[in-house]
Amino acid sequence: MANPPVDPVLPGGGRPRPGIGGERYEKAVAAEQELRTQSIPEGIDVPDLPEEAEIGFWRLALLRFVRHRVAAFAFIVLALIGLTAIVVPLLQGDLYRLQDYRHGYGAPLQFHPRQVAPLGISFTMPWTDHLLGTDDLGRDELARLIRGARVSLSVGFLAMLGYLIIGGTFGALAGYYGGIVDNLLMRFTDMIIAMPFILVVVAVTAAFGGVSLDKLILVIAFLGWAQIGRLMRSQFLVLRDSEFAQAARALGASDWRIITRHILPNSLTPIIVSATLGVSGIVLLESALGFLGYSVAPPEPSWGNMLGEFEAHILKDTLYLVFFPALALVVTALCINLVGDGIRDALDPRQR
Amino acid sequence: MTAFIARRVAIGIMLLLLMSVIFFALTRLTPGPPFSPGEDPKVKQEQIDKRIHSVGLDKPWYAQYPGYMIALSHGSLGDSYQYNKPVSQLLAERVPNSVLLLMTAITVALLIGIPLGIFAATRQYSKVDMATSLVSYVGISVPSFVLGLFLLLFGSVYLRKLTGNAISFPLFGMHQGDNTSVADLVWHMVLPVTSLAVLSIAVYSRFMRSSMLEVLHQDYIRTARAKGLSSRVVNYKHALRNAALPIITLIALEIPQLVSGAIITEGIFSWPGMGQLAFQATVVRDYPVILGVVMLVAFLTVVFNLLADVAYAVVDPRIRY
Repeated sequence: MANPPVDPVLPGGGRPRPGIGGERYEKAVAAEQELRTQSIPEGIDVPDLPEEAEIGFWRLALLRFVRHRVAAFAFIVLALIGLTAIVVPLLQGDLYRLQDYRHGYGAPLQFHPRQVAPLGISFTMPWTDHLLGTDDLGRDELARLIRGARVSLSVGFLAMLGYLIIGGTFGALAGYYGGIVDNLLMRFTDMIIAMPFILVVVAVTAAFGGVSLDKLILVIAFLGWAQIGRLMRSQFLVLRDSEFAQAARALGASDWRIITRHILPNSLTPIIVSATLGVSGIVLLESALGFLGYSVAPPEPSWGNMLGEFEAHILKDTLYLVFFPALALVVTALCINLVGDGIRDALDPRQR
Repeated sequence: MTAFIARRVAIGIMLLLLMSVIFFALTRLTPGPPFSPGEDPKVKQEQIDKRIHSVGLDKPWYAQYPGYMIALSHGSLGDSYQYNKPVSQLLAERVPNSVLLLMTAITVALLIGIPLGIFAATRQYSKVDMATSLVSYVGISVPSFVLGLFLLLFGSVYLRKLTGNAISFPLFGMHQGDNTSVADLVWHMVLPVTSLAVLSIAVYSRFMRSSMLEVLHQDYIRTARAKGLSSRVVNYKHALRNAALPIITLIALEIPQLVSGAIITEGIFSWPGMGQLAFQATVVRDYPVILGVVMLVAFLTVVFNLLADVAYAVVDPRIRY
């Protein structure tokens, strides 16, 4: 009897979807068809392969993440903050540093009636020029908050990228080669960990006399990668003697290929989780630096340096100027932590 | 064990030496001199040059380094440029204040955080567990300086307004004027300790909860339950002992980090500790003080790392070095 054409299962699990695999897919289908028509004798019934596609590891993780309601919600909030941070400064231009001395310390949420006439229909509606008020120099607080989000998030994510590149390379080499390489690299890592982080970052940035965004990211990345490095090393240490790595070695794969193609993909889970949670740590660190006056230089706002002027605001009783950046900071950090935990639950349900 | 400790001590000393070289070079190579005329027009350039010469900063850093190390081997960390006092004397004045603040904060955090974590783990998915998780999430996401700021605002400024100057926590410092009584000190410590402890409580309770949960799912716990032991004995005698082990490492690694984090808390509450000293030193480029604090923290980190490993081996007989 003839079998219906079936999608083949490719080595490595999962099925290629039509239209995605391209040439590789076509070849695999042809080979499978030939196998089925030629080698099966008449009269023997071959059970059909399951119709439902197998779900790969990453898709399963994605499904689990989406079903984790809190994490998915936190992700949406974070995405909105990120989108605002990218798009709004482009539209607003210089609004964040436009000073209006006559309207300093404007209170937030002050609406007044205003005549508007969209599409030729004129009517009165509540209107506000500065939704969240203005600061001491009459700059729009909302515009500054959004501009500050740009600083916080770009430092958070780009410095983490730096951690991953530096720490990942160090950890991978130390864990894979072991011996003297491991010893040297890990002693270096110990040294980085032994430094009082904030103090050294302050000292380095102070020495450069106030820093720009790119320098700040580099300074943080070069001083903070040690934890990721240690984690990467411990992963590589275990996986380099695993069966699949030995098999690849026996087949004559080069070290580079074993590291990048075999061990790295298998060591990613804890790294991804730790990196996501680490981003919130960097965001908080950046705000602490800003608070001390060692993040980006004014007039560029960051949530930290907006909070740094708290003493003046306490005396002047303009609490909202402390409250909004603090709220923005806490909400962002909380969302990143929740997303990180959601990713951990999705990637490794046993740890729940 | 002795060989292990000896090897670790040797590595630690090498590490500290290497760090001293790097930091020495870093302070000397970064742009900007420690002495500048500032806004005082009366200061002449020759005076500045003379001062730079007198502390030896006109030589290249590798020529200055041996002098620093020789002085260090005699127990001297050099003199502060800012205060014209030996750095060791400054540290001796400031470090005890920091230690007092940090140790109190850690003790409070442990006394609250660990029972909270155990409580949450033994009642997984209960309302108490959920509440603990929520609180620890928020605790981790609120930076200590924001917390300190709001504590200062509500505990000091608003409480004073609300109670008509009757009750309020002090705004800054360790003592009110010349009052050196313990009660006054405790009163001054409430806010800074709270702002430091909340983050640690969140970290400890989360860590303790996950550590405890991991142990509670192991086979020997099921065996203990199957023997008919009461859940109190199983939880507190069998599970807790193993679950508490990783906390040792956590605490040992946290202490040096806390010193670093205390820079900000000490700044907000004007606590005369070494964090504040170090921060002011970086602002005015007081190299000997910066180096002294950095090396002290590095030394503490190395020592606590070693202590953690040794303590681990002592309490866990499975670990052999």
